[in-house]
Amino acid sequence: MDAYANIITMSIVIETHDLSREYKTYQKPEGVMNSLRGIFKREYNSKIALDKTTLTIESGKIIGLVGANGAGKTTLLKILSGLVTPTSGDARVLGFKPWERNYEFLRQISILLGQKNQLWWDISPVDSYALLARIYDLDVTAARKKVNDLAEMLQCAHVLNTQLRRLSLGERMKMEIIGALLHDPKILFLDEPTIGLDIVAQENIRNFLANYVKEKEPTVILTSHYMDDIATLADRLLLISKGNIVYQGTVDEFVLNSNSELAQDEKVDFEEVIRRFLETESRIR
Amino acid sequence: MKKSFAVFWKRNLAFAKLAIVSNLEYRLNYFVDVIVQPVLTTGIEILLWFAVFKGANVQTINGFGREYYLSYALWAAFFARIATSWMYEFRMIEEISSGTINSLIVRPMSFYEYYLSQLLGYKFITTIISLIIPLIAAHYFNLPTIYSRVPLAVVLCFYYLILVHTISFLVCCVAFHLTKISSFTVAKNLLFWILMGELFPLDLTPEPYKSILLKLPFAGGVFLPVGYITNRIGLNEMITGFISVTISLVVLNALASVLWKKSLATYAGTGA
Repeated sequence: MDAYANIITMSIVIETHDLSREYKTYQKPEGVMNSLRGIFKREYNSKIALDKTTLTIESGKIIGLVGANGAGKTTLLKILSGLVTPTSGDARVLGFKPWERNYEFLRQISILLGQKNQLWWDISPVDSYALLARIYDLDVTAARKKVNDLAEMLQCAHVLNTQLRRLSLGERMKMEIIGALLHDPKILFLDEPTIGLDIVAQENIRNFLANYVKEKEPTVILTSHYMDDIATLADRLLLISKGNIVYQGTVDEFVLNSNSELAQDEKVDFEEVIRRFLETESRIR
Repeated sequence: MKKSFAVFWKRNLAFAKLAIVSNLEYRLNYFVDVIVQPVLTTGIEILLWFAVFKGANVQTINGFGREYYLSYALWAAFFARIATSWMYEFRMIEEISSGTINSLIVRPMSFYEYYLSQLLGYKFITTIISLIIPLIAAHYFNLPTIYSRVPLAVVLCFYYLILVHTISFLVCCVAFHLTKISSFTVAKNLLFWILMGELFPLDLTPEPYKSILLKLPFAGGVFLPVGYITNRIGLNEMITGFISVTISLVVLNALASVLWKKSLATYAGTGA
């Protein structure tokens, strides 16, 4: 392998080949009689959530993963972070098969699920961070300093000692972000980090993430239904529809090339371009 | 190797502290848990033996007088509280069915150790307070108790608790496939209630059941520790208890390890 090829190989942090995931779900027709029948016989439907996905992602990039509900973006995120095992295909993240959950791999990634708490509900964030420092084998003093620095940046130092369950949604999300960044992950999976937040809180978190990424240069896979998140943060766009990647490229290229007529129309914004593109793809498939 | 053990130890100590901190957040709940519940359970079991002796109108049962059974009831209630983990088992199952487990399996730690250390931490913080009740009661009512045997009895019970946790872990493997399985936990705990000897001393059962029950690891939860303290059994039976629990731990952990891997492979990453 020559030096150039080596550099190229080194910079790829995520690689998938024909990655697929199928789910089976129990179908329950309406009524008590069908519930009784279901004790003895059940019918299952198969759904392909991710269909033979092949992609490569370079280090230090922010990837905006966009698709409609049920398109497969969270499934892809869950496979790449090791939460879910694929039905077929292969993937390497930082050289590891994610679903084997090697501790060395898990120490280098972080996943933030906007709709799920990752920190501990019954204790204060500082206690949670102390626990995370132990889990990730961090220097406790350095971890404490990092928490304080991040809390200053996010303007939430005043709630660090308050039990998590007593915080507002916006404050909780800031606490979750600090928890996700505490061990300096090389890859950060962000699944709708601004969901449910008001516009000001969304913007604060967006600005914080933009600054953080500029400084630390982790690879970020970001899913969001708020196109402002994607437009502000993402270097590259991955559009997914019905389990298939339908576009890979930069945000600018997408706006210019995928639908040049729409892009030139000043009344149509980025969100509208993506929406129309995905609608067209959905009809084709 | 040395460093990885130190990391493992510190991490698990932190999990144990998490259980302690979480429980002490809710002070009233904690005191009801460690004082009111054991007092009520002990009261009920002591009343039961009062009724048995009065109804049967006998001085001894199986060679032991009423005071021995009152002492057994007192200590059985205490040890049975250590040797059950329904609360953590429910929590583990709920983590799987609700998808909260997502935040745990993407961290460099195992679900088994995370909950085992918490369970041990919780039992430690409740046991040190709950222990006061049988100690005071045994002393005040002058019930037959060999106090020097209490430490070894507690050690066996905590060792047995690891087995209880392993069984909970096995139940959790089933939760990946069936989602709602809290009925398993209730049925299992009812069975263990008898097999551990909380309801009555296992040596009261007729042969061959008595020999079988005493060889099972479940006796290590209540009957062996309490029998040792109240002088129903000696050190040899205690050693047999340790061996029985150890063999069960090896077999069930091997099974749990295989099942866990298979179950995680089918996990759909519920929610979000």
